[in-house]
Amino acid sequence: MAGLAKYMAKRAIDRVMVLFVALVLQFALLRVLPYYVLGIDPSFFFMNPNLTNEQRELIKKAFGLDEPLHAQFVKYVLALFTGNLGYSFYTRRPVAAELMERLPNTVILLGTSTVLTILFGLAIGLMLAMKRGTKIDTAFISASVLLNSFPTFYLGLLLLLVFGFYLRLFPLAGSVSRPPPSDPVLYVADFLWHMTLPLLTLIIVGVGGYALLIRSLLITQLGEDYIVTARAKGLDEREIIVKHVLRNVLPPVITIVALALPGIVSGAVITETIFSWYGVGRWLFEASTQFDYPVVQGVLFISILLTVMSLYIADLLIALADPRVRLR
Amino acid sequence: MSTSGAFHSLTGIVKSIARYKKGMLGLSLLLAFVMVGVFADFIAPHKPDEINLAGGYAVPSWFKVIPQYRDLPENIKLRIVGSEWKAEGDCSRLTVLHGWILCEFVPEGGSQSSALSLVYPLEYPYSPPKNFYGEIAYNVTVTGELGSTVRVRLYIDAPNGKSYQIYDSGAISRNLTRVEPPVRFDSRDVPLKLALGFSPHDDLGEKIFAEKGLYKLRIAVYARVVEGSSVKIALGPVYFNIPGLAYGVLGTDNLGGDLFSHLIHGTRVSLIVGILASVVSVLLGLVVGVVAGYKGGVVDQVLMFFTDTLMFLPLIPLLIAVSVFIGKSLYLTIFLIALFSWMGFARNCRAYVMSLRERPFVEAARALGASDVYILFRHILPQLTPVVYITLVLNVPGAILLESSLSFLNLGDPRVPSWGRMLYNARYSGAFSRLLWWWIVPPGVMITLLAMSFVLIGQTLDEVFNPKLRARRLV
Repeated sequence: MAGLAKYMAKRAIDRVMVLFVALVLQFALLRVLPYYVLGIDPSFFFMNPNLTNEQRELIKKAFGLDEPLHAQFVKYVLALFTGNLGYSFYTRRPVAAELMERLPNTVILLGTSTVLTILFGLAIGLMLAMKRGTKIDTAFISASVLLNSFPTFYLGLLLLLVFGFYLRLFPLAGSVSRPPPSDPVLYVADFLWHMTLPLLTLIIVGVGGYALLIRSLLITQLGEDYIVTARAKGLDEREIIVKHVLRNVLPPVITIVALALPGIVSGAVITETIFSWYGVGRWLFEASTQFDYPVVQGVLFISILLTVMSLYIADLLIALADPRVRLR
Repeated sequence: MSTSGAFHSLTGIVKSIARYKKGMLGLSLLLAFVMVGVFADFIAPHKPDEINLAGGYAVPSWFKVIPQYRDLPENIKLRIVGSEWKAEGDCSRLTVLHGWILCEFVPEGGSQSSALSLVYPLEYPYSPPKNFYGEIAYNVTVTGELGSTVRVRLYIDAPNGKSYQIYDSGAISRNLTRVEPPVRFDSRDVPLKLALGFSPHDDLGEKIFAEKGLYKLRIAVYARVVEGSSVKIALGPVYFNIPGLAYGVLGTDNLGGDLFSHLIHGTRVSLIVGILASVVSVLLGLVVGVVAGYKGGVVDQVLMFFTDTLMFLPLIPLLIAVSVFIGKSLYLTIFLIALFSWMGFARNCRAYVMSLRERPFVEAARALGASDVYILFRHILPQLTPVVYITLVLNVPGAILLESSLSFLNLGDPRVPSWGRMLYNARYSGAFSRLLWWWIVPPGVMITLLAMSFVLIGQTLDEVFNPKLRARRLV
């Protein structure tokens, strides 16, 4: 396990550096570029217009806006990491407090959809690999062209239109009914009922790609010598797939999921917005329409942090699934 | 790379793509979209920013073949000039001049009350509309002794005998010009609704034009002229509009804009965004990839670190934040899409250049004293041509989809009519709860088809060139 610890430590340094560059980029794009280059002053939206110039200067001083840029950057990063994300211009509540309310909803939606997408992808990929060359297989591959060209948000809109507005099977908005049911079992059921459509959208969007990837990985693996050996030993097909093939397919699948993580977070913003899910993604959208700078900034930081943390978890999973990577 | 020699010209490439069924389909789709994009101004009946072309939420006009929609009102736009009115009254002098009706009241001894009535028959053959609106212009000249008054009123007489007073000038006792601007009347005015005895939530159009039949627009002028004075009134053309509830190929949006025109003009936006963003991102990726692959060492490590970092950032949150802090414009969107989508190609290029760098012909060129620039442009870049072509095409759908997503999130340029914006408008002006599928379905179909045409062409190119290095990105 010493190899694993050393490997994970090395990856941790890599990931922290990614986070650092992302923070520099965020600071440059959101703080330096608008204020120092384009002359847009976000504090304009925050301060009472009746204040005198001296009062404005005092407020700016209190927030450290008169200090040199590098000092501001240090303050900025320290504030972000101590959970001081500022106050929403709109609700005047601490950003961190509202974030804590919304974050669980987003994590549940994204976590469930990612896990289900991988499971369905594995199942469909396995089926296609077993039936390669048949009509089902070729039909699925041709359909993938259409899937590649289909906008995620449009799928969500169509599901909402058909199942929500026409058939009235699912709720049109929100993550629980108003008022929420008091019975815990009913509450969970109500929550799941609200989650169905967004979950379905995220799964349909993701599953095709995984299925095709897993199919091609499996087909490559099925041609390998060790499969021939296993067959020669008289193992049944099921055992070969579960014990031999899947084990070898897992690391590249986790890598692909890791690479797809930023896209999953991006997709969540759109899906949450369409289904009015009470999560972080929709909050970002709403804040952007209200010019709520601290919220936009805080949510961007959290989504980057979440992505980097998930990447690190993926690193760990790959290292566990494939011992070879620890030696690299 | 033996096949790449035959594809130096664009026509050569197009011909070889057209040999494949998939490629042919993609090319024809793309050609159709390009034609629509180029000739959008001629195909679309209206400019994308025109509103009030018909009533809000009008259904497509071809719906009228379906029995339940048969009677839906179409646009009625009238400009009623002087000679079209049937004039009756006791004017001392009544003249029709340049579309104006001039009437002079002069008392023949003592004070006198006179009236002028103008009637225009209006055949209304449709089911009830929502609204109507219009303009009336007049000019009053009072001369001589004080005390004369004149009053102008506009009525709609329904076939059932009811009469609705739409406009009343009040008593006018001095010179008055209501020509520039003319008087506007609108069925959505709450005071008007209340004056006619309806609730503010009623649609006046629905109440007044409740049945089919012969309606009358009637202007009534009453004058009370005292001795020693005269009153002249000039009545200009009257505009009268009933916005239709069935209009155009795809109906109208909430503001009465033509949805078909929006759809056609959206083609141009998507094509521009897709192609420009793809070109910029391929250029960025090419420069970073080639430099990193050819230089190697620290340069390579630093460049690849930034590439990976950008790859691991969630794109849409970042773009939302940037658009909030910096602003919204079409070219900024294109630039940002390009700025965050070159990484995959840079990695591919780097890997490819690294392998080319070690080939004997590069080594030979270097041994002959060729400079780095010469080797790059003469020996390495030409080898990358197929990958560049394929990536150029395959990057387009991603950019198109991203732009439409951003516009759907209201982050696009608000002045630009894009398909994503159409869907944003549909979502936030109630197209969903009204089940207006003709508003919601077409933009998505267009986005999908346009993106698909590039995917098909890209995949065919991939098969044509069959490069050792697959530029196909992760799905």
